[in-house]
Amino acid sequence: MRIPKGIRNRLTGPRAERSELTRVEACFKFIKDELMVILIWIASIKLFVILYRQLQNVLIGVVRVGPVPRHVSFIMDGNRRYAKGRGMSVKRGHEAGGLALLNLCYACKNIGIKCVSAYAFSIENFNRPKEEVDNLYNMFAVKLDEFAQRANSFKDPLYGARIRIVGDHSLVSQEMRDKIKNVEKLTKDGADFTLYICFPYTSRNDIYHTVHDSIEKSLKEKSDLGKFTVSAFTERMYLDDFSNKCDLLIRTSGHMRLSDYMLWQSHENSDIQFTSTLWPDFGFIKFYLMLLRWSFFTSIQRYADAGFSIREKVISFIPFLANKKIALDSLPTAPLAVSITGEHD
Amino acid sequence: MNVIGESVQTRSGRDEIGPVASGRVPPPEASVLRNGLTRSKAHMVQAVTKSVMLDDDQEMIERKLKRLSQEKSLFDRKTSKIQFLMCKVLLMIMYLIYGFYRYFQYEYNRMKLKLLNIMYNPSNTPQLIRQDVNKLKKIPKRLAAILEMKSASYVGGGVKGLMNDGSELVCWTVSAGIKHLILYDYDGVLKNNVQDFRKEIRAKLGKYYGPSNVPKYAIRIPHLNKIYFNDEDDATSNGKNKVAIEVSLLSNRDGRETIVDLTRTMADLCAANELKLSNITMKLVDKELTHLVGPEPDLLLYFGPALDLQGFPPWHIRLTELHWEEDNDDVVYSVFIRGLQKYSACKINVGK
Repeated sequence: MRIPKGIRNRLTGPRAERSELTRVEACFKFIKDELMVILIWIASIKLFVILYRQLQNVLIGVVRVGPVPRHVSFIMDGNRRYAKGRGMSVKRGHEAGGLALLNLCYACKNIGIKCVSAYAFSIENFNRPKEEVDNLYNMFAVKLDEFAQRANSFKDPLYGARIRIVGDHSLVSQEMRDKIKNVEKLTKDGADFTLYICFPYTSRNDIYHTVHDSIEKSLKEKSDLGKFTVSAFTERMYLDDFSNKCDLLIRTSGHMRLSDYMLWQSHENSDIQFTSTLWPDFGFIKFYLMLLRWSFFTSIQRYADAGFSIREKVISFIPFLANKKIALDSLPTAPLAVSITGEHD
Repeated sequence: MNVIGESVQTRSGRDEIGPVASGRVPPPEASVLRNGLTRSKAHMVQAVTKSVMLDDDQEMIERKLKRLSQEKSLFDRKTSKIQFLMCKVLLMIMYLIYGFYRYFQYEYNRMKLKLLNIMYNPSNTPQLIRQDVNKLKKIPKRLAAILEMKSASYVGGGVKGLMNDGSELVCWTVSAGIKHLILYDYDGVLKNNVQDFRKEIRAKLGKYYGPSNVPKYAIRIPHLNKIYFNDEDDATSNGKNKVAIEVSLLSNRDGRETIVDLTRTMADLCAANELKLSNITMKLVDKELTHLVGPEPDLLLYFGPALDLQGFPPWHIRLTELHWEEDNDDVVYSVFIRGLQKYSACKINVGK
């Protein structure tokens, strides 16, 4: 099969480094490259696209009947390495990352996950080259508009989603702040699904911000913080109802650290998963496998905690065998009780 | 200078460890693997199949109601019910396949760990540990470890087992040349038994270095603001800089609750005009929390089967490198040394 060189390069990246590999490795790489091209070619046929979408729907339908996490969070790491590996510009890498997030949002919404949060921009990221920061900014602005539009159009799978941009907004420009406010207002009615974009965010900043605001509030209202509890503290954090716990935290690209993200939410009781896949490559199937793992262990955990009898379950399905609960008051009144000694009421 | 820190400590009661927060639900994988369901295969398969039928979860019911409310006619509802059952069956099959795969993965990991344990064995010799460590480019300045108490019915369980693990870890850390160790256990068992733990460390160090030649150590309980040294008699006479290792004992109390305590104290100080609101900066909060709990560790080791941070102080795991071995169940040297190896290879780049 002949595929134009330009397309091949775009799909698999340039093969400049091949000369440095040993012969066996080169052979393997050649086979892999060829295979990838064929696979991608197959995947681009319309029929397979439809089939893949159908399969995706079936898989989502299956996992929906089991336990599903409430709050899933992503650390989207690896966009730049992805771009570098394919000889693209850094900007393109970030774009690919944004697309990957939107695709996963569709899936999450269909699965029934209530909340997805993503680490878009860390406060520390301001240390990056200015050009890249600007690019990220612009891309973010464009994506925000796109999301708002989709969440409001009835046909789109993202219809009815709410978006919130959380973080230290004193660090971004006034123009950006207005835009954020506008987008949040446009989508504020969505109740089923919330997407939190953490922009510019660090978890320490989140905690500090809550400490500061709580004190400010107590000073203003002249109220005593004597009975201030952990849960009251948690309610005031950036992520509203979802601040307490993040059920599943996924970090891509192989680093084993949290990098100042979701510290409060994930330091207790939450499942943290690390994968060496770069973020733009983290597609539906990989996410689905992680979800299945979570669901598998959660359902066994619940089973072990609650105890479950298959007999009761079966019996409850058969109407005449089910031992219904009957309230004593619902029975007809018994006849008059008379004792042999003759006394009665 | 440290008005805030001290008043937090007096507020939260210096002499008590604090109430143990109960009702912790560990993350699913860790909890399942630790509860020993894996011990019996038949039991496991049973659990997998039966758990699929469990559907008294609030959100599952919500989803079900929503699904039913969408279809109006009876026929639709019946087909949807059939569809639901089909999905349940498919889910069960998928669980079984996954469980099967996971079982082999588990066996593989156990085998790997056994081999690693043979490869890396300190056999109570500090020279061997130092030799292993000297091959590395860098070591962490501060090491933290999460320990947990196993049920007393297992080998190495109970308070004794926990103290044994802790003191073993102290010995490895001393031998590796790391000056600061943070030991975390959720309920604060080590804190409560600090006197016994002290003796245990001395005995263990004696095994490594000879009873007459025990390296100097200090045990700190930041929450109670107390320091203990080697022997009972030379309580504070020795300077801190002569100590070979400083061990900090933390528990769940040092996590979220300490941050809330700090907030409360600062609010009081602000109300009394001793502190200005504008003076409360990130730096100040960080300084106070470092004073109250300790500095941020560079490497965090966990000796359980799947990562479970167990409420380790959230402020302090910002950039901490995490290390655990999958399906491992014991405090073993191979996990310790492999953690150090991983740390020496990792690159730290804040924000870049």
